Amino acid sequence: MIKFILRRLLLTIPTFLALTLVTFVAIRLVPGDPVEVRAGEHGISPERLAMLRHEMGLDQPVIVQYFQYLWQLAHGNFGTSLRTSGPVATEFFSLFPATLELAFCAMMFAILLGIPAGVLAAVRRGNVLDHGVMGISVIGYSMPIFWWGLLLIMFFSEWLNLTPISGRIDPIKFYFDTPTGFMLFDAWWSGQEGAVWDAAQHLILPTIVLGTVPLAVIARITRSSMLEVLSEDYVRTARAKGMSPLRVVGLHALRNALIPVVTSIGLAIGSLLAGAVLTETIFSWPGIGTWLIESINERDYPSLQGGIMLISSFVIVINLLVDVLYGAINPRLRHGR
Amino acid sequence: MVAETEAVAATAPKRPGQLADFWASFSENRGAVIGLVFVGVIALMAIFAPFVAPHSPIEQFRNFTKLPPVWEAGGNWSFPLGTDALGRDALSRLIYGARISLFIGLMVMSVSIVIGVILGLVATFAGGVVDMIIMRIMDLIIAIPSLVLAILVVAILGPSLENTIIAVTVVYMPRYVRLVRGSAMSEIGKDYVTAARVIGVGTFRLMFITVLPNCLAPLIVQAALGVSDAILEAAALGFLGLGAQPPIPEWGAMLADNREFIRSNPWIVTLPGLAILVTVVAVNIMGDGLRDALDPKLKRG
Repeated sequence: MIKFILRRLLLTIPTFLALTLVTFVAIRLVPGDPVEVRAGEHGISPERLAMLRHEMGLDQPVIVQYFQYLWQLAHGNFGTSLRTSGPVATEFFSLFPATLELAFCAMMFAILLGIPAGVLAAVRRGNVLDHGVMGISVIGYSMPIFWWGLLLIMFFSEWLNLTPISGRIDPIKFYFDTPTGFMLFDAWWSGQEGAVWDAAQHLILPTIVLGTVPLAVIARITRSSMLEVLSEDYVRTARAKGMSPLRVVGLHALRNALIPVVTSIGLAIGSLLAGAVLTETIFSWPGIGTWLIESINERDYPSLQGGIMLISSFVIVINLLVDVLYGAINPRLRHGR
Repeated sequence: MVAETEAVAATAPKRPGQLADFWASFSENRGAVIGLVFVGVIALMAIFAPFVAPHSPIEQFRNFTKLPPVWEAGGNWSFPLGTDALGRDALSRLIYGARISLFIGLMVMSVSIVIGVILGLVATFAGGVVDMIIMRIMDLIIAIPSLVLAILVVAILGPSLENTIIAVTVVYMPRYVRLVRGSAMSEIGKDYVTAARVIGVGTFRLMFITVLPNCLAPLIVQAALGVSDAILEAAALGFLGLGAQPPIPEWGAMLADNREFIRSNPWIVTLPGLAILVTVVAVNIMGDGLRDALDPKLKRG
């Protein structure tokens, strides 16, 4: 097992190095000289320009610059934001909990609805229920979620006045410190009456929007995996023993059917973060997605570079964990190629 | 004797061709046929847009801004689906938008297939370091969240229709490379490939003429589903203002442009999204049908 983990760890090193190379090259391809961007619109003297260039290490050979970049990354320095002049990593980690909270709720929504829907569809195979679940699932994973978000806002916020349109909490009614950055927790911690409920209301629509595609995918995978398992011998044996259908499905079949579902959930983290960019933009959710779009609109390329570096590292680490966990559950994979 | 044989041959059922076989299997799936019909209609509309659309997609009728569709009070039959804030005909923009979206989808798919086939086969046949480098790069691209990578590419190249195609291709191409490599790897050990090698078939011919045709089925399925992914991704970029620039009638951009009128004129916002959804659903159920028909092993339930 340890050998397996070590091998997977070693395999991620070239991926990480390639990632640093991509972000390093990308920032140099972006139009606009970083020195002039920092110096501002108005021209400055050539001496001052050369000095700035030297300060930023841009007069060094490219290879040296790359190793300096790696050195900085190794020390947790992901660059300086042009907008705020603060370190990119600090900004990133102050906003990341908002995105994580949203992504977590969306995943929970997708799992809690998707697995039962998939099981029901498999058990009632070929029936109206099955066709209904599959039909909705096709629509779900074909959904342009930015439009879906606008529709939900139109319906629930504009017409029915049930949910707030944007943000994470009503800033007029509530004011409290956010030590963790997870609003539901911070609201509860603050002890202010109605704060948790308000935060939850803000979460509902974004959760549905971000959870829709994973919900459709999970329902589909659960159904097909369940169908496969239900035709296995041990399920037939359990049935023949006279076990109740509920026990057969719930106890014997579901446990084995869930393995591919769990894997797909782990691997969906990347697409969940991509969806978060759109969801956050629609609901003005103050997370990484909104921050990335703002960075690009204001040509804050260091933030973009650092942000992409951090997000991708997160995805690589999660995928590594999924692999290791999967190897722990399934020994065949560990010893395979 | 000859006549006898001919008579027997005539009565024997004709061996169905590959295409007929495929069609028989495809048309069994009602949903897939409906998808195909929808895709066909949308494609025809896109091709003949100048003849189908009542107006130019960029002409501004300043006296008719923010008109509702005909079935609502105040609708006007010269603008069946209403107009946007600049007085442009919504129906015409939607029809021309089909052109943009399908064009992006097809371009991304064809470029991805070409690159995917070449890189996938080269990785398989070269093996060793070349294989490792190609596959590590693909792993890396897959590790970056799709939309985030597309945003990075657009940041470097600048927002435009062409760059949308490049960005989305970069994002989706690794799937094709992995797929081609995966199926080529499983073919390369088979006897027919060894036989071809033994009789002295060159590597190039071996790659493209001996092995490639046997990897086509999963590739076609991926291509169909890849078109819908590309359309969605491009629309998302358009929505973020990073795709096709105004006045190009791109569906995602149309949504974003009219977002502020969501309360007063819900139709301007609803219709472009509906167009995206219908197109993507149609392509997806057609792709599912293709998968079931071409690749019985993958058949789900």
